[in-house]
Amino acid sequence: MMSSVLARFGQKAKTSQDESYYTAGQLALIKARFTRKASGVVAGWILVSIVLMGFFAPFFSPVDPTIRGADAEYRRGAPQAFFFWDAQGVSLRPFTYTYSKSKPKIDFQALAASGGLDALDALTSSGALSSSSQNKYNVDRDKRRYVQFFIKGWEYSLIDFSMAGLDLDLRWDRHLFGVEQGDIHLMGTDEDGKDVFSRTLHAVWVTVSIAVVALIVKLFTSLLIGGVSGYFGGRVDAVLMSFTEAVRVIPSIPVYLACAVALSSMDLTSVQRYFAIAVVIGALDFATLGRRLRTHILTERNQDYVLAAQLCGSSSWRIIWRHLIPSFTSYIIVDTLINFPYVILAETSLSFLGLGLTEPVNSLGVLLQKAQDPDIQQNMIWQFFPVLVFVVLIMAFVFVGDALRDAADPYSEKK
Amino acid sequence: MVADFFTNTWLLWVLLSVAGFLFWRSRSSQYFHYVLNRYLLALMTLLIVSGIVFSLMEVLPGDCAEKYIAYKNTQGEIITQADIAAERSRMGLDRSLVVRWSSWITDLTLRGDLGFSCAKRQSVNIALGDRFWMSFGFCIAGLVFAYLIAVPFGILSAYMINKPWLDTNPQHSQKQRLINSLGLSFNKLLDLKLRVISYLGLALPNFLLALSIILLYVFAGEPVPTGLFSDQWSNEPWFAESGFQYAKLTDFLSHIWLPIFVIGWAATALQLQTVRALVVDESNKLYVDAARARGVHGMSLWAGYPVRHSISPLFNSIGFDFQRVFNDLPIVAVVIGLTDSAALLIEALAMTNDQEMAAAILFLVALVVISMNFITDIVLAAIDPRVRKSVLG
Amino acid sequence: MMINKSMHTNLLEIRDLSIDFNTDEGLVHAVDNISLNIRPGEVMGLVGESGSGKSITAKSIMQLLPGNAIIQPKSQLRLRHDNNDIDILKLRGRDLRKVRGDMVSMIFQEPMASFAPAIRLGEQIVETMQIHLGYSREQARREGIALFDRVGIVDPARRFDQYVFELSGGMRQRAMIAMALSTKPKLLIADEPTTALDVTIQAQVLELMLELREQMGMAMLFITHDLGVISKIADNVTVMRKGQVVEAGNADQVLYRPGHHYTQRLLAALPNLDNLPEAPKEKPQALLSINDLSVSYPVAGNSRKQEMFTAVKNISLDLPEGQIIGLVGESGSGKTSLGKALLGAAPISEGSVKYHGTKKKVHFGASKRLKRKRLSKTAQMVFQDPHSSLNPRMTIRDIIAEPLEAMKLTSSREETDQRVIDMAKRCHIDVEHLRRFPHAFSGGQRQRISIARALVCRPKFIVADESVAALDVSIQAEILALLKELRAELGLTILFISHDLSVIANLCDWVCVMKDGGMVEEGTVRQIFLKPQQPYTQKLIASIPLLEPSQPRVEHLPESTEIFAVQQEPLIKGPIRGHITEASIRFHTEELRC
Repeated sequence: MMSSVLARFGQKAKTSQDESYYTAGQLALIKARFTRKASGVVAGWILVSIVLMGFFAPFFSPVDPTIRGADAEYRRGAPQAFFFWDAQGVSLRPFTYTYSKSKPKIDFQALAASGGLDALDALTSSGALSSSSQNKYNVDRDKRRYVQFFIKGWEYSLIDFSMAGLDLDLRWDRHLFGVEQGDIHLMGTDEDGKDVFSRTLHAVWVTVSIAVVALIVKLFTSLLIGGVSGYFGGRVDAVLMSFTEAVRVIPSIPVYLACAVALSSMDLTSVQRYFAIAVVIGALDFATLGRRLRTHILTERNQDYVLAAQLCGSSSWRIIWRHLIPSFTSYIIVDTLINFPYVILAETSLSFLGLGLTEPVNSLGVLLQKAQDPDIQQNMIWQFFPVLVFVVLIMAFVFVGDALRDAADPYSEKK
Repeated sequence: MVADFFTNTWLLWVLLSVAGFLFWRSRSSQYFHYVLNRYLLALMTLLIVSGIVFSLMEVLPGDCAEKYIAYKNTQGEIITQADIAAERSRMGLDRSLVVRWSSWITDLTLRGDLGFSCAKRQSVNIALGDRFWMSFGFCIAGLVFAYLIAVPFGILSAYMINKPWLDTNPQHSQKQRLINSLGLSFNKLLDLKLRVISYLGLALPNFLLALSIILLYVFAGEPVPTGLFSDQWSNEPWFAESGFQYAKLTDFLSHIWLPIFVIGWAATALQLQTVRALVVDESNKLYVDAARARGVHGMSLWAGYPVRHSISPLFNSIGFDFQRVFNDLPIVAVVIGLTDSAALLIEALAMTNDQEMAAAILFLVALVVISMNFITDIVLAAIDPRVRKSVLG
Repeated sequence: MMINKSMHTNLLEIRDLSIDFNTDEGLVHAVDNISLNIRPGEVMGLVGESGSGKSITAKSIMQLLPGNAIIQPKSQLRLRHDNNDIDILKLRGRDLRKVRGDMVSMIFQEPMASFAPAIRLGEQIVETMQIHLGYSREQARREGIALFDRVGIVDPARRFDQYVFELSGGMRQRAMIAMALSTKPKLLIADEPTTALDVTIQAQVLELMLELREQMGMAMLFITHDLGVISKIADNVTVMRKGQVVEAGNADQVLYRPGHHYTQRLLAALPNLDNLPEAPKEKPQALLSINDLSVSYPVAGNSRKQEMFTAVKNISLDLPEGQIIGLVGESGSGKTSLGKALLGAAPISEGSVKYHGTKKKVHFGASKRLKRKRLSKTAQMVFQDPHSSLNPRMTIRDIIAEPLEAMKLTSSREETDQRVIDMAKRCHIDVEHLRRFPHAFSGGQRQRISIARALVCRPKFIVADESVAALDVSIQAEILALLKELRAELGLTILFISHDLSVIANLCDWVCVMKDGGMVEEGTVRQIFLKPQQPYTQKLIASIPLLEPSQPRVEHLPESTEIFAVQQEPLIKGPIRGHITEASIRFHTEELRC
C-alpha cells in the first residue's frame, strides 16, 4: 500500500509540466495565460512603450513643450520629415531641411501706388491674408540639418521624488534626438510654435497619471463601500447598497461636470486642479466596482477555505488579511486595467468641455479639445496627431484588458 | 375647489392607487407581492436619487437670487447686498437644504412639478417641454442601433470564439478541409474586423467621432447635418395645407442619423462584449450538448438554446444601457448642435448654473432608468422561469 | 479482448478509435486505439475512473466532442441496423440526426443541467419527436405524456408542462429517460446516469432502466465507475484505463474472474464486509456528548418573517473515543449540519456540545458562547471539496501551517516548518511539494493536504465531511487507508460523514443513521449493516448497488428480507466484495476454487 502510494506521487511529479508551473502563484499563472494571447501581448507592448515614452517624455521629446520652448520662427508649421537620401546623395545619418518663413507677399507699394480697391481685391484673392497661407514655409533643400542623438538640450528632471520628501531629483539635459541647429518638429507646431510631438508625449503621462490617481481613489472608495457592505452584511449592507444603487442610475458625466464647474469657480493652481479632477472622477465612480467587490466578498466568504481558516482558529483580522484580501488582488488589478480607458475618456470629456484641465497644461483632453477648432481642422491637420496617439492608447488598453479578462481566471482551464 | 385639489395632487393619487392595487393583489398572489416590493423599492431609490441630485446641485456656484438680481443689474438698477438677501428670502433660498429639498420633492410627488428654472425664469416643466422626450428618443434609437449590430455579431463572435482558423480534421478529405478552412477563416476575419471596429467605437470619444464626420462633410463641401433640420425646414410646420410634408421628414431623418449613429457606435462595443460573453457562457452548458445529442441542429439549436437563454440577462440590462447612452449624449449634443434636454443639461451645468433645471433633468434620466429596471424585473419574473424561481422561490 | 465473431450482427462497431486533444500543453491522448462492439439488445458496461476516456468514447459516438478533439484517421465508428450501415465519422450537418436522437439517445449524469432551464420539459420532448418521428404537436404531446406515465412520473400531464427545476432529482432523471426513449432509439448511451442520485433513488432508477430495456429491447452502453451498479445491469463489461481497454468480456467473467491486475485493483478497492471490526466489549468512554442539539438556519429571501429551517432536530448522542464513527444519510438529512455544529460552525438553536478530557473545558451550545481557540486545538475538519477548501493563493506549506500560525502554537518559524514537514510525511505528501500551490495537485493529493492541515495542531477529533466523495475508487481506498493509519498512530476519533454506505462499511467502527434532521438509528457497523432495526435503515441498506452475477438476472430489487435470510447464515471468512448476497458468496467460492 505504502509503496503504491509513493509510486503514484513519483509519477505525478513527472507528468507534462515542469516545476515552475507548480510553484507559480496566481499572478504568475495569469501572466502565463496572458502571454498566450497574441493580440493581448502586441497591445501590451504598444501600451508599455507609449506609457514609458510618456513617463520619460522630456528625454524622448526633442523640444521643450512649454511656451519656453515655443519656436517663434516656426508657428503653425507643418511636420518636418527626416530623410536618409535626396537628390544630393545618401546619408546614413538622417537629416531634415531648413525651413524659413516666406516673406509676406503683400505688395505694399502696389497697394500704396494704386490705392484702389482692385489691389486690395487682388491681395485678398491671392490668399496671402487667409490663415491657410500663414503656415507656408520655404524648404531650403540645400541646407541639411542632421539629426543628433543624445543631444544636449534644456534641463529637466528625469525622476523627481522631492514631492515624497526624499529630496531626490535626478536632473539631466540629454535628449534622445534633436538636430544641430534649431529644433526639429516631427509633427509640426501649433499656433504658438509649440512642438506637437513633444506636447503629445508629455500629455500622455499627464493623462495616464490622472487616470492612475483616479483609479486609486476609486479603488479606495469601492473597497470601503464594498468591503464594509460585504463584510458586515445585514442592515449596513442594505443601506449602503440602496445608496449605491441610486448612484448607479445617475449618469456620471453630468455629475463630473457639476463638480468640475464647482472646482472651476475655486481658485486653484493647475496642480491642485489636476488632483481635484482625478479625485472627483475616482470618488464618484465607486458604484459598479463597489457592488462587485461586495458580491465577491460575499461569495469568497462562503468558500470552504475561509471556513477552514476559521476552524483553524484564525481571527477575523487574519482571515481578512491572509485570505480575503489576496483573493481579490488579482481581480482588482484586472478590473482596474479594464477601467483605464473609461477614466481616460472621462478626463478627456471634461477637458473637451473646457472644464477639466486647460491650456497651457499638456493633457490629451486639452490637445483633443483643439480638434474642434475649424481653423485646425482645415489648416493644421497635423494637430490631429494627439488624436491618433489617444486612439492607439485606448485601443491598446482595451485589447490588454480583454486578454487579461480571459487570463484572469487561472482555474478555468482545469474544470 | 375639489377639482383644484385633485389637479394639484394628481400624481400622488396615481402613485397611491398603483400601490393600493398591488397591495390588494399581493395578498393572494406571490407574484404581485414581488411586484409590490419592487415598486416600493423603486420609489425608495427615486427618493434617494432626488436627494443626491438635489444636494449635488448645491456645489454649483451662485443661486437663483444672485442670478435674478444680476439680471436686473443689467437692466440698469443699482443693487445692494440687502436686495440680494431680500430676494433670497422671498425665493425661500435662505432655508436649509433639507427644507428646500423636501418642498421640491413634495411638489414633485403631488403634481409632477420639477421646480423653477432661474436661467429661463419659468417652470422647469415648461422650459423642458418635449425636449426630454427628444433625448429619450435619441437614446432609444441609439440603443436600438447598438442592439441591431451587437446582437447578431455578438452571437457570431460567440459562435466563432472556439473555432480554429483552419480545418485540420483528419477525418475530412483534402477538398472538404480546404472548403471548410475558407469558410472558417472568412468568419474568423469577419469576427476580428467587427471586434476591432466596435472597439474603435469605444476608443474614439463621441465628440471626436462626431467631429470627424462633420469634418468629412466639410471636406466634401456638403452642408453639415448638424441640428435637427436644415435651415429651410426648421420653421416649416409638419402639416402644411398640402398635407403631411414628407420633405420635412426626409430632412429630419437626414439629420438625426448622425447623433444616433455616434452614440450608438460607442454603445455597440460594450453590447457586443456582453452578448458574446452571455452566449459563450450559455453555449458551454450541458443542456446545449444534450439538445445536440437529440438531433437539434444548426440554427434551431443556436436560436432555441444558448441564444434564447441569454436574452433575459441582456433584456435586464436595458436600464443601465440607457443610462450609459445618455451619459454620452450631452457632449454629442454640444458638438452637433442639438437642442434636446442633454444640451440643456450642459447649458444648465456649465454656463447658466441653473440648479433646479439640471437637477430635474438628471432626476428624469434616473427615473427612466429606474422604471426600465422595474419593468424588466417584473416582466422577467413573469416570463422567465429561472428568474421566477430565484425571486419567487 | 473480446472480438465478436459474428460481425454483422453488431449494432455498434468501434474499431481502433483514437482521440487526441489539442491543448495548450500539447497533444493529449485521451482515447488510445480502442475497439468495442455492441450487439442489438445488449447492455455493455463501460467502467473506468475519471480520465479513463469512457465519456469521451461515448461522446464520439454522438459526435459531441469539443472543437479541440482530433479523431485519428484510422478510427472507425459504424452503426448497423436492418440494412443500414452508417459510418458515423463521415456524417455531416443534418445527416448527424441519423445518429443523434434517432438511432442513439443519450442520458447524462446531471439531469438538472441537461434540460434547458427556461424551456418546458414537454416542449423539449415534443421538439425531439417532431424532428425524428415527424409527429404533429398533439400526437407528440400525447405520446410524451404516455412516456412520462410509463417511466413512473406521477401526474404526467402536469409534469409535462413544468420546468426542470420544479421536479425532484429522481423525477428529473426519469424525465431524462423518457426524453431519451421518446424516439425509440436502437442504442441508449447512459453516462453515469445514477451517480448524482441518492442511494434509494439510484436503486429505483436502475430498476426502471432494467425494466424498460427488457420491454423495449434496445441496446445500452452504460458508463459508470461503480462496479456494483454494473453488476446489476450489464451483460458485458469493458474496463478502461488511461484511454485504453484493459479488459473486456462478459460480466461474470470480468467481475468475478478478473484477468487484468487493474480490474483486480478496482475490485479490491470495493469495501470489505468480512473484517468488520468486532465491537469493543464495552462502549469506550465518550469523547464528546451532544445534548439535545438543534441547528436552524434562517430561510433566505424572506426577511420579514424570520422563518427558520431546522436542519438538525433535537439530537442527543455520545461519540466514543478512539473510534471512527460513520454518519450516514441521504442528501438533506442534516448530517453535514450536525458535523459542522460539533465544530461550532453551524448556528446551534438548542442544546449543547461538550468535549470531555480536554485541558481546558470545551462546552458550547445555544446559550454558551464558543471559545474558538480551545475548540480548534481539540477538533478539526476535513472538507468534501478538495478544490474549494484549499486557498488557491497559498503554498501547501502555508496551508498546512495555518492552524499553527493562527493559534500561535509554535515559538519559531523553524518549529512550525518542522511540524509541517513531520505532518506532511505522515500524510505521505512529498516534502519537495510544500512549495507548490494547490492547483498543481490532483483531488486525492489535495485531500491529503487537507488532512495534514487538520492534524497539524494535534487535535483529538476530526470531522471528515464526505471527504472521499469526489474521488475515484482507488484513490478513495488510499485516503481511507491513510485515515485508518492515522487513527491508529495518533489515537484520533473521527466522525466520518458520508452518503456512501459501502465506504462507511469499509472504514467505520460505529455508525449513526440520520434522516430529515433526526437520528434514526445508531450502533456498531455489524449491527447497522447486518441487523438494521429501523425500516428506513433497512431500505437504505437494501438500496446499495450490489455486486451480483448477471445470470440469472434479478427482475426486482432484492427485498430486504432476502438479505436477512443470507445474514442468518454464518459469516464467511475471506474477502467478500460488495455486500453479502448469494452472489458474493458464490463468487467467493469460485475464487477459492481458482
